[in-house]
Amino acid sequence: MTRFVKTQKELEGRYEDVWVLVDEADDTVSWTPDQELSLVGHPAPRHDGAARAAGRVRYTADVVLTGMLHTAVLRSPVAHGRVRSLDVDAAWAVPGVRAVVGPETELSLTTRAPLLTAEPAYAGQPIALVAADTLEAAVEGVRALGLDLEVLPHMIDPQDAVNEQRFTTDPSDVARGDAEAALAAAEVTIELELETPAQHHSALEPHGAVATWDGDHLTAWVSTQGMFSAREELAKAFGLRTDSVRVLTEFVGGAFGAKQGAGFEALAAAELARLTGRPVRVVNDRHAEQLDGGRRALTRQTIRLGADRDGTLRAIDADAVVSMGQGGWVFPVMIPARTVYHCDNVRALTFPAKTNLRAQHAFRAPGVTEGVTALEQAMDELALALDMDPLELRRRNHAEVDQVSGLPYSSKHLLACYDRAAELAGWEARDELRLPQPDGLLRGMGCATQIWWGGGGPPAHATVRLDADGHALVVTGIQDIGTGTLTGARIVAAEELGLQLDHVTVIGGDTRNNVYGPVAGGSQTTPSVMPAIRSAAAKVRKTLLQLAGDVFEIAVEDLELRDGRVRSHDGAIDADVTEVTEKLGDATIDASGSRGVNPEGFVVNTFGCQIAQVSVDPGIGEVRVERIVAVHDVGRIVNPLTASSQVEGGVLQGMAIALSEEQVIDPTTGVPLNAHLDDYKIPTIADVPEIVIDFPNVGDLNLPNVGAKGLGEPPIVPTAAAIANAFAHATGRRATALPLTRARVIEVLS
Amino acid sequence: MSFTLLVNGEQHQVSPAGRRLLAVLRDDLELLGTKLACGEGACGACAVLVDGKPVNSCLLLADAAEGHEIVTIEGLSRGRAGALQEAFVAEDALQCGYCTPGQIVSATALLERTPQPSREQIHEAMAGNLCRCGAYPKIERAILRAAGVS
Repeated sequence: MTRFVKTQKELEGRYEDVWVLVDEADDTVSWTPDQELSLVGHPAPRHDGAARAAGRVRYTADVVLTGMLHTAVLRSPVAHGRVRSLDVDAAWAVPGVRAVVGPETELSLTTRAPLLTAEPAYAGQPIALVAADTLEAAVEGVRALGLDLEVLPHMIDPQDAVNEQRFTTDPSDVARGDAEAALAAAEVTIELELETPAQHHSALEPHGAVATWDGDHLTAWVSTQGMFSAREELAKAFGLRTDSVRVLTEFVGGAFGAKQGAGFEALAAAELARLTGRPVRVVNDRHAEQLDGGRRALTRQTIRLGADRDGTLRAIDADAVVSMGQGGWVFPVMIPARTVYHCDNVRALTFPAKTNLRAQHAFRAPGVTEGVTALEQAMDELALALDMDPLELRRRNHAEVDQVSGLPYSSKHLLACYDRAAELAGWEARDELRLPQPDGLLRGMGCATQIWWGGGGPPAHATVRLDADGHALVVTGIQDIGTGTLTGARIVAAEELGLQLDHVTVIGGDTRNNVYGPVAGGSQTTPSVMPAIRSAAAKVRKTLLQLAGDVFEIAVEDLELRDGRVRSHDGAIDADVTEVTEKLGDATIDASGSRGVNPEGFVVNTFGCQIAQVSVDPGIGEVRVERIVAVHDVGRIVNPLTASSQVEGGVLQGMAIALSEEQVIDPTTGVPLNAHLDDYKIPTIADVPEIVIDFPNVGDLNLPNVGAKGLGEPPIVPTAAAIANAFAHATGRRATALPLTRARVIEVLS
Repeated sequence: MSFTLLVNGEQHQVSPAGRRLLAVLRDDLELLGTKLACGEGACGACAVLVDGKPVNSCLLLADAAEGHEIVTIEGLSRGRAGALQEAFVAEDALQCGYCTPGQIVSATALLERTPQPSREQIHEAMAGNLCRCGAYPKIERAILRAAGVS
């Protein structure tokens, strides 16, 4: 029987109560640790890898429809200004222009915030749209608008905003115990001020959408992490029923948190398509993408720690000024200070400073990465003050239970991560790296702890249909943004069905199937969707076994299904599964499954440890990461091949925070100076260190039926801190701001 | 003014002149495997082979490519890059896959020039192909695998 159950849903540390459907007859339980599995936990290449490697897959940016118009966006050239005039007639007069929409144009959509503005509050904010037969004509139309703008005062430095009490939301002040008194009484204290840089997502496929109307039915290809939220947003904006909107998101060329919901592009494309009666394409050019495509906020944090001589943490007093830009959710920068270590006296303040920048945007482990980057450097300073091994200090302050709620963790293998990372990195011999080196470089090693959520939750659904050929079609609500979750879905389904991988086809990326999956964010796809798939597959398996019992005239209990074969325990029957399924004829075995609720009374987190080894050339200020060891406890690993890819990707983006990536803003104009890929330095293949990866790979038995947690965010969390700590170990100096550019390193070392 | 382009072994009449090769490949010839990511020559997603050398097609005027042999990812996928593509899949040297056609193009040029590349040669040849997902460690392994170097 299916029931409604009220449960808590978590996304990136935000909890909400939701009603979810629970199938009470679903009796699938987690695989036990010693259970032998054919496919889960074994490396498998992506099911769509060959198509991707041949350039055959179509991203939103590749969608071409007959009669499709192209769009150019007039964006603010200044950080704050007021439009004096736009020559709309001149834009209309450009041959090929089919629509001109300015901030005053009456639109058919309604959105919370206006799509366009006459008073831009950051450089790159959209002011007007021109749709035309060609992109060249649209660009010419934007030029013809002849924007005349009054420049208004801007504020870029978040400290200026704090001084003037300009906040996007009220500052938050969270405390337990008495941090101030505990600091005053502590035997050893340290204080550290640190800045973390603003980082751009820089997905190679820019934000984009193509929209087309058929009467009151809207179809939109959207480069998004959340096709269902895009559907909901579009339906609301245009006053449509959700089943009148179809969102297609089969392939996404990178997202990293920046592509949420419909986004500006899909709303603009749908509006322009409605106005013109033609399909419309809105895709960012690179400059727009780097200006307005997403930004991890710059933070300035102060961490004060107090401890006993034996390293026991007595007080954590932390605050963060976050350059929010024009708004956005205040990411949990202070969560690491509140949760990573056992500590009874904690105070954590967050100041969400309103600056003339684009609203900050979730970027892979938003907030927690920034918080860990500061906290973990402070922990190393404390270790130094205590003359204690930094890893030992972390072990001594291990949190046995969640420090905010007091609840136990559903599972936690952090101490095992420390041990394994230390072993793989050669941690015991780390001080030998500081001996004079033949190549004249300084070397050092540093560690950092990772925390993130990643437990997922309902709602998530899946359907499985098995046909006469013994082939299963698995329909999911997954949008695979490059993580390989659809391949993971195929593995879980095939495992449960007892089929070979190539007998299972997985589908996602299309809301028309109306099989819901969550937004691909917060490391929630795997822990949310895989259990739903397994539940659906388990029902099909059950039916298939019953039919096999009928065919072979044997009790179901005496049969097993594995690797595409039906076998009896006594060995008398060993038949290809098609000997049963072929009798289905045109019929199919169908089932749907849904994600069960999360366990009550537990907090679900992921944990890990990374150890970085760096070399520093003091002459030219060059820091190179030579090696990173990454050990992450994310429950059961479904596909070790794609799991290691996630870790490598997260490590490299985290390395970029430490070494090269930062938004550079001209303080005079408030305009970003490096909104291009040649001057915003994302890592290249030549920057890549050796990355050594391991997982405890212990399924979380408190999570429904698969025991896997998410892995998208965890690997980025500790990397920058580990590198910064290795730099301090190598040089004896700590930079108060990242990234460790050559100029900054030379300054720190001089 | 129209001109002739030799793409993947076929002659194409193209007009007008004055456009970027990338635009002609994608918009006129519908060869959508070549990706536009930066349009500024900074990322390599639009790489194609011109007379066997990898070139950012966003920085080359199409008419300047007249008389030269252009091969895109579609052309390479008829067998010429088969070993590399199989290695990319086997090693998981791609995540979102958006940069992958450009990576395959550059890696093809590398291996045709240097069949047994060192890691340093791979880094030098491939440093112009950005991968934001960070598939680099596996791209290196895939190239070594395709080259038969372990």
